[in-house]
Amino acid sequence: MPSGSRIEKLPLSKNADRVALDAARKQLGQIILGKDDQVGLALSCLLARGHLLIEDLPGLGKTMLAQALARVLGLSFNRIQFTSDLLPADIVGVSVFKQESGDFQFQPGPVFAQLILADEVNRATPKAQSALLEAMEEQQVSVDGNTRQLPAPFFVVATQNPADQIGTFPLPESQLDRFLMRLELGYPNAENERELLVGKDRRAMLDEVAAAMSPDALVKLQQAAANMHMSDPLVDYIQELVRFTRESPDIEIGLSPRGALALAAAAKAHAFVNSHSGVYPDDIQAVFAAVAGHRLKPAGSTSFRSAAELCQHVLDTVAIP
Amino acid sequence: MSKPRGTDGSLLLSLPWTLAALLLAIAPHLQFLPLWISAAFVACAAWRFVIEKRRAALPPTSLRAVLALGCFLGVLATYSSVSGVGPGSALLTVMAAMKLLETRKRRDQFVLLFIAIFLVMSALLREQYMWSLPYLLVAVLLIMTAWLRMSAAHQQTAVQSFRTSGRLVMYALPMALAMWIFFPRIATPFWQVPIDTSSGTSGLNDTMSPGDISSLSLSDELAFRVGFDGPVPAARDLYWRGLVLQRFNGRTWSGNGPMPSNSNLERSKIQVSGDPVSYTITLEPTRQQWVFALDLPYEWDLGKKIAMGRQQQLSREFPIDQRIAYDVTSYIDFRADVEMPEMFRNWYLDLPAGSNPQTIELARQLYAEAGSQTAYIEAVLQKFNNENFFYTLEPPPLGRDPVDSFLFDTRKGFCEHYASAFAVLMRAADIPARIVLGYQGGELNPQAEHLIVRQSDAHAWTEVWLPGTGWHRVDPTAAVAPERIDSGMSGSRLSGAAAAWGIPTPSALLHSLGLSWDAINAKWNDLVLGYGPDNQNRFMRWLGMDTPDWRKMMLTLLGIVFGLILLISVLLSLRYRAPRADRALRLYRKFQLKTGLPLSTGETPSAFAERARVDSRLDSTTIDDVTEAYLAARYGPAGANALDELRRSVSRLA
Repeated sequence: MPSGSRIEKLPLSKNADRVALDAARKQLGQIILGKDDQVGLALSCLLARGHLLIEDLPGLGKTMLAQALARVLGLSFNRIQFTSDLLPADIVGVSVFKQESGDFQFQPGPVFAQLILADEVNRATPKAQSALLEAMEEQQVSVDGNTRQLPAPFFVVATQNPADQIGTFPLPESQLDRFLMRLELGYPNAENERELLVGKDRRAMLDEVAAAMSPDALVKLQQAAANMHMSDPLVDYIQELVRFTRESPDIEIGLSPRGALALAAAAKAHAFVNSHSGVYPDDIQAVFAAVAGHRLKPAGSTSFRSAAELCQHVLDTVAIP
Repeated sequence: MSKPRGTDGSLLLSLPWTLAALLLAIAPHLQFLPLWISAAFVACAAWRFVIEKRRAALPPTSLRAVLALGCFLGVLATYSSVSGVGPGSALLTVMAAMKLLETRKRRDQFVLLFIAIFLVMSALLREQYMWSLPYLLVAVLLIMTAWLRMSAAHQQTAVQSFRTSGRLVMYALPMALAMWIFFPRIATPFWQVPIDTSSGTSGLNDTMSPGDISSLSLSDELAFRVGFDGPVPAARDLYWRGLVLQRFNGRTWSGNGPMPSNSNLERSKIQVSGDPVSYTITLEPTRQQWVFALDLPYEWDLGKKIAMGRQQQLSREFPIDQRIAYDVTSYIDFRADVEMPEMFRNWYLDLPAGSNPQTIELARQLYAEAGSQTAYIEAVLQKFNNENFFYTLEPPPLGRDPVDSFLFDTRKGFCEHYASAFAVLMRAADIPARIVLGYQGGELNPQAEHLIVRQSDAHAWTEVWLPGTGWHRVDPTAAVAPERIDSGMSGSRLSGAAAAWGIPTPSALLHSLGLSWDAINAKWNDLVLGYGPDNQNRFMRWLGMDTPDWRKMMLTLLGIVFGLILLISVLLSLRYRAPRADRALRLYRKFQLKTGLPLSTGETPSAFAERARVDSRLDSTTIDDVTEAYLAARYGPAGANALDELRRSVSRLA
C-alpha cells in the first residue's frame, strides 16, 4: 500500500527519541535502496517487540537489512548460519571445563546478543530450530539446568530461502506464528540497482554508519508505540478482517486471536513509525500482508497464487468502517 | 425431583436491590399482615441472601413444596379465605418469600419484581393516603433500579442504575398525570373492592346496646369532614343525623336497616323554616350505606345515589367503601311527619312486655304528676339533671333489665344509656319515641375552615313525636352533661375523661400540628382523591371541552400520550450527540460526493486521495487537507481539533 506522502508531514512530537527514530529510518533508507516500505515494516516489527522473518532469494539484501538494523539501532549483533548439522549448543552456548579453576564455565553461544540474524533458518534440523524459537518466545535459554536471561531488547531476524527446497526443514505453521512479520524484499528497480552498482560499497557504508539511538531509547519507543491510539472503528476493522479470514472459502485456516493481536500491535507500531496521530486504516493495510501472510493457510481450491495476493484479496473485500 | 444446584453468586449485584424493592413493597401491608407472614418473609429474604453470599445450594424442591403448602394453609387458617385485600396481600407476600427460595436466574427475579409491583398496587386498595404518592414514587424507583441492576454490566455502579431509573420515572410522570386527568371517570365503579372483613373499621353499627358508643369515644379516627358554604352553625345545633332505631327488645335498639324510600315523597313530609345551611361532607369509608348529614337534610347530591328513608335518614345504594364527598343543604328548624298514621305511631310506642318494669312504673308516676306530654318530657329531663346522674365513659355493667338498673342503681352512663332510658320512659307514657345515631359537634379546623368530626363524636339522642308538631329532637345527655353538647365531645374528653383513661393530653403545639396535617389531608382528598366524574367534568369544561364525554377524553388522552412519546423521542434524539468519528464520517462523505468518484471497498482514505488527485477536478491541496483532517478526526485520539479542521476544509469545497 502506498502511504500518502502528506500524512508523514503531520505534526510530530518533537522529542529526542522521535528524532532518533526518524534518523534511523533515513540511514536505513540510504543503505537499503528503494525499499522504504520494507524498511518501515522492519522497524515497525522491532518497535512492536516482534521477530522478523525475511523470506527471499539469496542476494537481495536480507543480511544487509539485518546488519543495518543492528547497526543503526545500536544493538549488539550476532549472526548464526543455520546448517543441517547445527546443534542447539551451537546456538545457546555450552559449559566448558576449565582446568585452571577446576569447574565448568558457561561459554555463551551466539544467541546472547540483542539482534540475532538466523540465516537460512530452514536449513537446520527442527531440533536446532526449536532451540532458537524457544529463545525467541521466552527471552531466556536454559543450559545445564540454569536459566539464563537473554539481553533486552532481543530480536531475531531470520531469513529463509523459499526456492531452495532440497535438504530443508520448512518451519511449521505453529513456529511461523512466532514471527510477528514475514517480509519479502524483492528485486530493486532499475534506478536503485544502478545506484547500487555505481555507488559506494554498501558494506563500507555500514561500517561508517553510527548508531542513531541507544537500546534504552529503543525500549522507550517500543513503549510509545504500544500506547498508540486505536479508535473503535479500527478495532472493528481488525475484527472484520480476522472474521473474514476465518470464513472465506479461499482460506483453510484463518487468523488466530494471537494473529489479531499481532495485527493490532504491528499496526500501532507502523502508525508510530509513520508519525500518524492514531492508527489509520493505511497502517492496518500496510502491515496486513506481512503479519497475516505467513499465518494464513490457503485452501487447496484457491486461485490465489501467493500469500500476498490472498492478503490483498482480503483487504479489497472487507470494507473499512 | 431435580438436584438443587449451587448458586454462583451471579445475582449478588441485583439481589440486594430486589430484596429491598420487595421489602418496600411489603412495608405498607405490614400492619395488617399477621406477624408470622412478615417474619416468614424476612427470614426467607435473609436466608436467600446468605445462600447467594456463600454460593450455597438452594433448598431442595421437596422442602420448598412443604414450605409453600404450609404457608398457603397458614393463610387459609388465618383468614379462612383467599380472596379479598387482606388474604390477597398475605398470599402475595408468601408467594414472594417462596419464590425467593427458588430464585436462581434473572427470569425468577423478574417474577419477584412483578410480585413487588402487585404488592405496591394492592396497598392502594387498602387506603390512599397522601403519603401513598411519594411512597409509590420511591417504590417504583427502587423496583426499576432492581430491574436495571439485573441487566447491568459489572462496571456499572448502583448510582448509575438509580439515575437511569430516575430518568425513566421522570419520562413516565407526565404520562401518568395525563392519564390521571383525562382517563374517563364513571359514576359507578365497574367492580367493588372486596370488603376486608378481617379488619374492622370503627364506626356506628346498625344496632345500639349499652357500651357501643362509649367504646367509640376513645377513637380519634376521622369520621368525616364538613366544609360549610356559609358560617358554621352553633355547636349545640351540630347534630349529624345518621340512622334511626325504633325497635327495642329490652336491651338493644335496632332499626330497619337502610330502606331508602322515594325521596320526594319523604321530603313532602318535612316542613322547613329559617336559613338553610349548605355544606359538603367528605365521608371516610364506613363499609355501610348510611350517609350522615346535619339534622335535618333537605336537599342533597342526587347523582350520588343517596336517598332518604321513612325516618328522614339518608343512605346510599351501595356501601361506602371509598371516601365520598357530597353536598347537602339542611335546615336546623324543621318539622317532620306532622301527620303520622296510627299504625306507625304504634310502632314507636312498642315496648317488650315484662322488661324494665320499674321504669314503666316510674313513667306512669311522673306522667300522672306532670299532666301533659310537654310537661312530662320536661320533668324527665329535670330528673336527669337534678338527681345524681353521672356522665361517664366507664359505665358499670347493667343487669337483666338494663334501663331499670341504669335508672335506679348505677346512674352512671354514656349518651346511649340516657337516650335509651329516655326513649323507654317516653314510650311508657304513650309518647312515640325513637333513637337517632349519629355524631354531635366536631372540631373546627381554623387552618382549613372545615369541621372535623371524629369517631369520638359519635352520639345517640332521641326524638319524640308530639301531635300537631311532629318529631322533636330531645337530647337527654344535654340535661346531664351540657358541656358535652356545647363544646363537643373532644373538649369534654380532654378535660375530664382523658386523665381518668390515662390518655396523654396533647400539647397545644401538637394539636395545632395535627390540625395542619388535617387541613393538608382535606385538600388532598378534595383535589386528588375527590377527582371523580363531577370534578373531571368541571375540569374538562374549564379546559374548554364542551359536553365532555368519555370518547373525547380518551381521544385527548391518546393525543397527549402519543404527543409526549413523540416529544420525549425528539428530545432524546436531540440530546444524542453522534460520536466524533461518525460526524467526521458524515463530513467526509460530502467530500467524496464532491470528487464524483466512488469509494471502492477496502480503499483507505489515503488511497482514495491518491486517486482523487489524478481523477477529480479538486485541487490536490484541498484533497490532502480533507484527507489529513478526516484521518485525524475519525481515527486519531480525542481532543484534537481535527474535526473543526475537517469541517473547515469541507465547507471550503462548497
